[in-house]
Amino acid sequence: MAALALLTSCIKDEEANQECDIVSAWVEGKEYENYFYDVTQMKHENIASTVTEIVFTVKSMISLPEKLPIQLAVTPGATVVPASGSEQHFKDGPVTYTVTSQDGSWQRQYTVVFREAVKPTYRYGFEEVETIEGMNNNLYHNFYIFDQAGNRQNVWATGNPGAILIKQNSMPEDQPTYSTEQGYVGRGVCMNTQDAGMLGRLFGKPIAAGNLFIGQFILDNVLLDALKATQFGLPIDRVPIRVTGYYKYRPGDTFTNKDMEPVPGRVDEASIYAVFYRNKDNDGNPIFLYGDNVLSSEYIVRKAEVASLPPTDEWTPFEMFFEGGDADPIVLASQGYNMTLVFSSSKDGASFEGAIGSTLYVDEVVVSFEEITQ
Amino acid sequence: MKKIIIFFVFCTVFCATIKAQGGFSWENLQVKARLGYSIGGTAPIGFPATIRSVDAFRLTPSVMAGADVALPLNEKWGVSAGLRFENKAMEIEATTKAYRMEVTKGDQKIEGLFTGHIQQDVTEWMLTLPIMATYAVGRNVTLKAGPYASLLLSKDFSGIASDGYLRQGDPTGPRIIMGSKEGEWATYDFSDEMRPLQFGIAAGVDWQVHQHIGLSADLNWGLTGIFNRDFKTVEQTLYPIYGTIGIFYQF
Repeated sequence: MAALALLTSCIKDEEANQECDIVSAWVEGKEYENYFYDVTQMKHENIASTVTEIVFTVKSMISLPEKLPIQLAVTPGATVVPASGSEQHFKDGPVTYTVTSQDGSWQRQYTVVFREAVKPTYRYGFEEVETIEGMNNNLYHNFYIFDQAGNRQNVWATGNPGAILIKQNSMPEDQPTYSTEQGYVGRGVCMNTQDAGMLGRLFGKPIAAGNLFIGQFILDNVLLDALKATQFGLPIDRVPIRVTGYYKYRPGDTFTNKDMEPVPGRVDEASIYAVFYRNKDNDGNPIFLYGDNVLSSEYIVRKAEVASLPPTDEWTPFEMFFEGGDADPIVLASQGYNMTLVFSSSKDGASFEGAIGSTLYVDEVVVSFEEITQ
Repeated sequence: MKKIIIFFVFCTVFCATIKAQGGFSWENLQVKARLGYSIGGTAPIGFPATIRSVDAFRLTPSVMAGADVALPLNEKWGVSAGLRFENKAMEIEATTKAYRMEVTKGDQKIEGLFTGHIQQDVTEWMLTLPIMATYAVGRNVTLKAGPYASLLLSKDFSGIASDGYLRQGDPTGPRIIMGSKEGEWATYDFSDEMRPLQFGIAAGVDWQVHQHIGLSADLNWGLTGIFNRDFKTVEQTLYPIYGTIGIFYQF
């Protein structure tokens, strides 16, 4: 005890914060509510550490006022330019905010952008891909789309940002999910289950399955609870009924459990599914589905799963139909439903069960929707 | 290192001088068997500001057993040399803010700034050879000081980083949240980076309370950091600094 007291007396004064994050961003005031489909879309909370673009979805860019104030909460002590609450011309395009840490030595830049809701793309050809340079000289592919209005939309997410955490000097093709030139038409997606190495084992996460999904990968959660790193779904204004596409699949040789012990007789399987769900609870709080409830949540309205994906080295068509209830047209019109589409090279990869080397290729995915009744 | 060599040279010269003054006899050789318990820490000299609080400090099995041979050179002065088997261990919990650390395993690593809770265990079983000058103050009390060298037989420097987050690379890097249970936290182990030999200086006092039995108190101050010089992950040089309370039996 005396030793503890002695040690405590050695503690130096706290130094100024070095971090410079935007923690939350919101539009404040009843007068602005009309521009949004719903009040939940006026606020972004707990913004993930890797986010640099904050998107507010509005009904119409044309009717948006010339200037709007955005409120920002940043790391304690940090400053932001332009200031939180200052009116900016979002109608003219993205506005860049620079956050400077309390100690003055670090900066991060964010863009805040107002956009009309994603007009869903019916066809995903996976032709739009960019190479991102992560930490430690690791490169990885990121898939995006152009919507019907011609706007770039970052609808696709992968676990790549998590996989590169423990790597150094790696190429896009070294990652669990990457773009391949050998698609069914043009480029396609390759997903493969990888050995996460000694460090992955140390963290109880021995394998990394390749995945691609509509939603957001929240790297912040990857160690705490990997199932919470995959946030599934984005708002959609119509009701999906069917998904088709092409795949190739080859399971890896040895199926292992989460302790990396072989499970004799078990063969790895790929998974392809889609979920359409309510994105608000009855009190109006936002709902997201994660790895632990994406197929079981009470907010699911309808879902589609491909029953089986037999191994094949030839491009083979797959098809799945949404089953479940109907959507409420009023809720639908207010962006009250989300849809996700999920592909994984190991069905139980989220719980770190699968076979290293399992490889799933996917291309030319088409989603069919119900007719929109006005 | 240079300081230690100078110290050894000084001791040798000192002993030779005393010897030259006379009053020396091999028959006066004293042998003491010792048992002790050490308390202290393997710590930077002055905490860095990235350590925000020390939350727990637990007693560890830091026992010492050994013997030394003392040779009085004259009425007051003497020299002693010993061999000790001892453990310099530490268990500490601390709260950090932006503390630079690295988690490595094989050829993989994650490094960055950790803000959160650290539980640090250090164990260093070693054989220590102290060489000391002794000075008798009165009949029962002997002061002693001198250098020591330790050969580490087993070493462990490992811990857990939990209840916080790591900013990978620098304060603007990805934030990886660490939880409060296994699988959610990060463990680290720098045992292999510890140097096998340590040097330092020791000073203490022996108090003869009975004909054969006595009590001792010693301070062992490491002059070499516990890690190899090229190991940079732990920013601060950590020195083993331990106090030992013991009993001895003089034959």
